This record gives sequence, structure tokens and C-alpha cells, in this order.
Amino acid sequence: MANKEKNKIKLAIYWGAACGGCCVSVLDVHEKLFDIVAAADLVFWPIALDFKYKDVEDMPDKDIDVTLFNGAVRNSENEHMAHLLRKKSKLLVAYGSCAHMGGIPGLANFSNRQEIFERVYETTESTVNPEKITPQTKSKVAEGELSLPEFYNDVRTLNQVVEVDYYIPGCPPQSERLLEVFAAIVSGAELPPKGSVIGALDKSQCDECPREKTENKLLKKFKRPFEIEDDGKTCLLEQGVICLGPATRGGCGVRCIEGNAPCRGCYGPPTSIPDPGAKMMSAIATIIDENEPDAIKKVIETIEDPAGTIYRFSVPQSIIRRKIMPQEKKKEEAVLQS
Amino acid sequence: MEEIRIGVYICWCGTNIAKMVDVEDVARELSEMPDVVIAKDYKYMCSDPGQDLIIKDIKKHNLNRIVVSACSPRIHELTFRRTLENAGLNPYMFQMANIREQVSWVHDDRIKATKKAKALVAAAINRIKWHESLDKRTVSINPSTLVIGGGIAGITAALELADTGSQVFLVEKERKLGGNMAKIDLTFPYLNSAQQIINEKIDRIEHHPNIRIFRNTVIDEIFGYIGNFNSTIGQNGTEAELKFGNIIVATGLKSFDPSGIKNYGYGKLPDVITSLEFEQMLLNGKILTKEGKEPANVAIIHCVGSRNSDEHEYCSRTCCMSALKYANQLRSAIPEVNIYQAYADMRAFGKGCEELYCSTSRKDVMFLMFDQQKDLPVIMEAKADDSCKMVIEMNEKLSGERIEIPADLVILMVGLEAQDDAKELARSVGISMCGNSFFMEKHPKLDPVATTTSGVYVVGNCQAPKEIPDAISQAKAATARIMATIKQGEVEVEVITAEVNEDICCGCKTCIQVCPYTAITFDENNSVSVVNEAICKGCGTCGSACPTGAIRSRHFTDNQILSQIKGLMSKSLELNEL
Repeated sequence: MANKEKNKIKLAIYWGAACGGCCVSVLDVHEKLFDIVAAADLVFWPIALDFKYKDVEDMPDKDIDVTLFNGAVRNSENEHMAHLLRKKSKLLVAYGSCAHMGGIPGLANFSNRQEIFERVYETTESTVNPEKITPQTKSKVAEGELSLPEFYNDVRTLNQVVEVDYYIPGCPPQSERLLEVFAAIVSGAELPPKGSVIGALDKSQCDECPREKTENKLLKKFKRPFEIEDDGKTCLLEQGVICLGPATRGGCGVRCIEGNAPCRGCYGPPTSIPDPGAKMMSAIATIIDENEPDAIKKVIETIEDPAGTIYRFSVPQSIIRRKIMPQEKKKEEAVLQS
Repeated sequence: MEEIRIGVYICWCGTNIAKMVDVEDVARELSEMPDVVIAKDYKYMCSDPGQDLIIKDIKKHNLNRIVVSACSPRIHELTFRRTLENAGLNPYMFQMANIREQVSWVHDDRIKATKKAKALVAAAINRIKWHESLDKRTVSINPSTLVIGGGIAGITAALELADTGSQVFLVEKERKLGGNMAKIDLTFPYLNSAQQIINEKIDRIEHHPNIRIFRNTVIDEIFGYIGNFNSTIGQNGTEAELKFGNIIVATGLKSFDPSGIKNYGYGKLPDVITSLEFEQMLLNGKILTKEGKEPANVAIIHCVGSRNSDEHEYCSRTCCMSALKYANQLRSAIPEVNIYQAYADMRAFGKGCEELYCSTSRKDVMFLMFDQQKDLPVIMEAKADDSCKMVIEMNEKLSGERIEIPADLVILMVGLEAQDDAKELARSVGISMCGNSFFMEKHPKLDPVATTTSGVYVVGNCQAPKEIPDAISQAKAATARIMATIKQGEVEVEVITAEVNEDICCGCKTCIQVCPYTAITFDENNSVSVVNEAICKGCGTCGSACPTGAIRSRHFTDNQILSQIKGLMSKSLELNEL
């Protein structure tokens, strides 16, 4: 099936713990998809093409030129495929927020496997599961043994599992950015240093944001977007809405802000920020217009779901990585020390 | 990027560190950390041989980063930065791990202390990988000096500086100049007139062309940094904007209020007075009881408010000699008076003081010892048929007997304590205080008049209770230091300031509002924030506020701090296992 025509690159697209949006973003290039196919053979793309894992296993090492890996690493299947595709690819690109930073699935790191299983398989309002059956990696049935991938205790980013060459951020990445990156790879242009974030700007969202910014950033109350009467012009942060724009790379075309919604940080932090949530929290702390501890506490309490807000797409990649689970302490130590 | 080559030095500090931390084990274990070329331990890293060891190793092993694990960086960070400079390295390629104040002095389990020391050194090693060379910066020195406090120390400093031709601004919170010295009659041990000395000096500063005096004035806020301070001083409804290059703090101490000590009945018994009140009596020329009679029996009680955990634990240092001075003044004013010195320990150190003690004891003065910690004397009204007004009951320590002392006048030798507004002043000039509210000097032995804030000096009693010659010596020492900077015309200043990376700054203006020194302005043309490094104090507020990471606090970058934390955690997790 693979086209052996010369000068065509081999492209693979895979999804780990993902919603499918990243794969759709590839389709969203619309008719440009023909340009992609003209320049590249799609050798593996589970959402669109019927290849089996075995087909990938049979490929020689480094046979794939570029793999766009979207989705986080949530279970042993994701991890297995990350290792396999790493082995088979010359360039492995973490595509989209989940592969890049953990993304929305990464918010599950504020719980652990046990808590998630309890909620999903026992306590959700629509669940009836008196026997408390939860997924097992091995189960014996009359026909033999069945296996399922192991559901991990935490969500990891792609680069916490394998070496990653480039990162294309976004939830999902803007299709235009993908085309630019793809064009650069196909044209054989000199690629940026390994480990770079590509398809995004170095400056933050504010640089592209059309809203007016002043020095008036002292707040006594944080608000959710529906609580303000937005004039469409003033900086959302100054109106009390937590907008992650200042701590987020530009490049998406400030789409959320253009839609009068605050930036949620899917493009991740500029290079200068090691931990976007910590940075944002520290920025928020300095604009709280109170001095007494109790008063400050009251202002902070007006932030709905603070951790989920400032780390919406980046929990696994952040320094905290996850909520500490007492029963997991030993394992945590082992992970941290490694 | 150049290869990172770290040298690690673990100091024994004699036995100070070595007794509680296995320094050899620390050096051995950390020598295995990545990028560490050598790790050594040595008795005194700050000594010349210790510093030479570093210099030789830098040259021999081509080291480019140095970690010294010893005492507080407050004490020796500069010492070792200079060592690096002497070896040709940038002084900021240095990091100190404090394993004395933070480890050996505060722990009593050698195994755990050693582990903690390893964690702190590992943190320093991790951090130093991210260190960057910083270039020295000098600023010009404004030759004017602000002297806060018009007592003998402040007056001396003002005159010394003004006599060299420099401008001095002297700020005194009271109307009258002279401070505590203007309130006393004679000085010890030679019984010279304090008034003659101080009045001559007050007269001189009042007429000195280079001294501008602000009375009834309190310093509110001071801005700037060494060489370039400024403050707005309000006086008589008008405001004066002063610019000065250095600050001398000479705010002195105040007398302890003995009302709280029940045994002594101060405030209730009319003829129990403080030493300060007795000085006033001496200045007025008449020693009389409240009834206007000459006292036949005078008791002097020592250590009132001093050397006792209920009041102040320290020795106020001047009271013993003042008490002897009073005995001499009493004896010559009322030759027949009975004089009783109720003392805890007689402290007669210093030139001429032991001699004063000896000569006083030959003047028919009764010395009676009491236990200052547990057993204070009790002053009571005498009975109607007694020949005296009061009776002091005490357990005399040397004889072991309970005795009664007759008294018509009791002088309480009150101690000295910090001024009520010491804390506010420390905040306005940016200096630290010791636990007992005395201002803290930069180094207790090696730099007793400077403070950790460049350009701010502490002299006289505000640093700790002391005698007049000591206060004057300090005042003169500080002026010598200031004269040196004025003569140089410029001085090196802190290079640890904030900088804006204009390529990243997105112009959100968060930093402008939070800067406490208004050092940040907005460049409308380029839509970026700009830090004025001359005003920036390197407090780091903007660096933490900046949501884009465009502002870096030099020498305290995110990477430096985070890697320091990671280093600390890597070893301290092991600590938890214990």
C-alpha cells in the first residue's frame, strides 16, 4: 500500500488519550489535504485509515519521517505506541496540548485511578453497578484470558515517556500552523533546534490581543465570564476575569479572546516560563488589592476552581504534576527521584 | 555553552559545623553529583589558606563555578565573591550554602544534620549551574549625608563630616539637641561635666555652615540607594526635599520605665526615683526628698530592667559606673549621708572604671549584693517610729543574711532600651533589628558600624548600650567610611536588579502597578515595560508578577530557584525516610 515514490515523505498520525479534535484539525485543512497527500504518504492514521499496530511493528526502524502524536499518555496502550512510534520515526512531534502538556485529560491528575474508577464505574448518577465491576488488565472467561491496557494512576505528557523532537501546541493546533510546519518539513528547510515549540509565537497572547491594557490591574474580586458586563474593549484580566493570555504563547490568532472568552492557555507558556500555573498564580497574587491575610484569602476564594483554571492544560507538565496521594507516597518518591 | 565545572568546599568552621555535621561525608557524597569536579572539606574556608585553596583549584582544575558550604552568606558571601575575582572568575559564579546557622547550630542529631547539610549543598550545586556572570555597576556618590538623631553620636558624626566640607542634614525628633547626654550632670569615670562637653558641640553644629538642622522632625520614608538617597522632610508645615549619599542612624536609646517592677514601688513611693530623675536633681544643684529635706540615707539599686528575663536580658552597661558616680556626688554634696549600693554584680571594665570602683569603696559606701534573677529587694514605707522614710528588705548574698536598709531616697539605676519608634525607623531606612530591637550591624566583630544596607550606618546607643567614648568612636568610624566613599566619588552597587526582555514583554503592564519603587515605566513606542536600574532595588516583585516571564530578577531567575528547590528535594526526601 505504501507509495514508494521518491521525495515523498512518510507521515504518521496517532492519538493517545485524546478527544479526536487533533485528528480533526488535520482534516480541517480541507482541500489542502490534497497538498499534504501529494507530498507525503500517510502510513498510519487510525482515525481515518485502516492500519493495524502490527503494520507499524513490521516497519523498519526510523522508516516514518514524521509522526504527529496527539493525546496524552493515560494507559499502557498509549505508552506502548509512544515507544513504538518513537522507534519507527525520524521525527516525533507532540501534536496538540495533550501530547505537549497533558491537556484536558491531564486534569485527572487531581485524582488517582481509584478515585476515577469509583466515580466512573460506581457513583455516577447513571451507573448501576452493584457488583462494583471495574476494568481489569486480565480477566478469565470461558474462551480464555482477556486483556485490557492498564489504566495508569496519572496522565503523562509524551515527553515524559519518550524523547520528543518538536511540539506543536494548541487544543487543537490551528490548521494553518500545521500547514506551515508541514511545508517547512517537506521543503527541507533548516529545522529549529530539537525540543522547540513550533507553530506558535515566542510572545504571549497579549501581544496579539486587541483589547486595551492599562496599569489598572488591582482586583478585589475575581469573576467568571458571565459575571461581567464586557465592553468588548477592556483587558479581561482588568475586568476581573482570569485570562491566561499573558502566560500563554500567541499564535492561535487570539481566537478565544476574539470570541470574548478569556484565554485558557492551550498553547502553553512562552519559553521563558517553566511552569505556567505557578507563574499565573504569582501574577494573580500580586494584583490582589488587599493587604491583610484574611482579606486576601477572601479574594482568592472568588476564583472558581483555581488549580483547574491556571493549570487547565498543563497539570502533568507542571512542577506539581499531580495532587499528592498519601497512599501513593512511596511510588511518588520513586518517580520524583528518578 | 562552556562546560560546567563546579568546585565544592565544605567548611568545618573549626568545630562549629564539624561537631554536628560529618563534613567529610558531605564532601564525599556531593563529589559524585554531575558537573562537580572536586569537593573538599577544610577547617576554615574564610581564612587566607582556605581562600587560597579555592584560587589554586580554580586554576588547576579549570573550575568555573564555586559552591562554599559554610556560614550565613550575610557574613562571608562577599569574602568569597572577592576570592573568585582574585582567581579571575566572575564573582557571581558563586553560591553559598549555609550549614552553620541553618544546620549545625540548630540541630542536635548528627546523622540528620549531615543529611540536611547534603540537601542544602545539593541545592546550591543545582542552582549554580544556572548562574550567569553579572557585570559590576558603580554609582556616583552624593557628598551630603543624613544624620538621624541629635545626641552625642549624631552630633559628633555631623561635625566630623561637616568639618571636611561636606553637607550634613541633622534630623532630631525632639526640639532640644544633645540627646541623653544633655540630660546628665557628670560623666564617669573622671567626673567631668557632661554639659560642658555637649553644649560646646551643640553650639558648634548650630552655627556650622555645612550643617542644616531639622528639629521636631521624624523621618518618614527614604528612597534610593547608596550614593543617591532622597527623602521629603516636613518641618514647620513646609516640606524639604533632601538628597544625600549616606545615612547615619544615631537615634540612641531611652530609659527603662520601672513602674512595672512591683518590688520597687516606683510611682507609688514618692522618694523612689530613676537615675535619670536623679541626674535632673544634680543638674538643679539640690539633692532633696519630695518633702524638701536633705536625705540622711540614700540607697542605689542596680540593674533595674536589665539582666532579668522578665525585662531585658542584656546588661545596660553604663549603670554600674553611673551608680558609683552618684556615690561620689552624694558624698561631696552631703558629707554625712549614708550611701547603700544594692547591686547584682559590679561591672567595672573599661579605662578608669575599676579605679573608680576602688576609690568609691573607700568613701564609706556600703556595697550589698542581691540575686537579680530570683530575689529582688523590696522597698517599703518605714514605720512611723523609724528614723527613715523607707526600708529596703533584701537577702544579702555574700553574708547570707536578711537585712534592712534605711532609705530616705532610693535611686533606681534604670537600664536602657530601644526607642519606641525603632521599628518604624528600621523600616524607613531599610535596616534590620536584633531581637531586643537594637539595630543590627553588618558584622558583630568585623563591621560593627555598617549595616546590610549599603550606605546606612548605625552608631551610638541605637546599636547597643554603650558609654560616651564608644559612641563617639563609632560615630567617627562611620564618618571615616563615608568620607572614603565621598573621596572615591563612586561606589559599586548591587547588580542584582530586574531586567525586561523586550522580545517577550507583551505590554500587559502588570509590573508597573506592583513596583514599590516606581522604577518601571512603559515605553509606548515599543509597547514594552522598561526598568530604571538606578531606582530598582532588586526586590523581585515585578519578576514574580510578570505573567509572561519577560522580567527576570537577575541572580534570582526562575531556573535558578527551581533547580535549587529540585536539588533540595532530591536529598530531603531521603531525610524523610529517617
